[in-house]
Amino acid sequence: MPGTLGYAIWIVGSILELAVVVSAITKHSFRRYLCLNLYMLFSVIVSAARFQAVAQYGLHSKQYAYVYYYSDAVLTIFLYLALITLYLHVFDEIKVEKYLRLTALLLLAGTALFSYAVVQQSSHKMLTVFSYELSQNLYFVGLVLTYVLWGAILKLRETRTQLIQLVLSLGIYFSAFAATYALRNMYPDSRSFGYVVPVFGCLLPLAWACAFWRLAPDARMATARLVAVPR
Amino acid sequence: MSRKLSALLLAMLVLAGAMSLKTVVTAHGNGAGIMANGPAPLPDPFRNGPAPLPDPFRSGASVLR
Repeated sequence: MPGTLGYAIWIVGSILELAVVVSAITKHSFRRYLCLNLYMLFSVIVSAARFQAVAQYGLHSKQYAYVYYYSDAVLTIFLYLALITLYLHVFDEIKVEKYLRLTALLLLAGTALFSYAVVQQSSHKMLTVFSYELSQNLYFVGLVLTYVLWGAILKLRETRTQLIQLVLSLGIYFSAFAATYALRNMYPDSRSFGYVVPVFGCLLPLAWACAFWRLAPDARMATARLVAVPR
Repeated sequence: MSRKLSALLLAMLVLAGAMSLKTVVTAHGNGAGIMANGPAPLPDPFRNGPAPLPDPFRSGASVLR
């Protein structure tokens, strides 16, 4: 069982996830970022299911491991869809929605195929290993996609503050996990990551809740003023 | 047609980039991220939400049932 601090972080994270949905509904942004809010709502439900599994079977049980890894795969797909909707928001004026959807679908299918190709030798418990591998690979795809999206935001001179904050916080979230992942691979025996990872899990809902609560949906960044220089 | 091919190319480029990044990130590791290879992996820190990590899936005789 996790310690008191572990439980506290878990509960705070779940409350923050719920706060994202509540903030979005209160500020009339729920439908605008539907996939993103559904992801957060599903995260709350998954947190409750995981808590139930831990309470009933214990942290080191097989049941909790199954609940954890399968729900993580589903959540990662939700997160991927949320990221694609952010793409649709950024590119909505260019009218490339059809091609974005096609690319997103191809990418998801390609990632699934790649994951299958990696785990196909593992005939025993292939579905379990596949869900784990797919989840892992989709995170890296999400990381790359977030940076590509940030590049597009800079290139297109996007000024919607809320959208920018949502994308940037997602970029930081992915990057933080990638860094933790690398460090864990470099120092596999280190126990210091025990609380770092759950804290990162709290930061994304915190940033999104702030974005929905503090920023108006149509608020825009002030662009630099042009100075007329006489010839 | 060319736009559809562009979409395919873009998807493949992103996938290749992501998998290359994953390879770079896990290059110095003990292979914990690649479960198909058999060694007992560490729990994946990549996760959604603040719930604590469960035990890793193990290979061999003590595999999850």
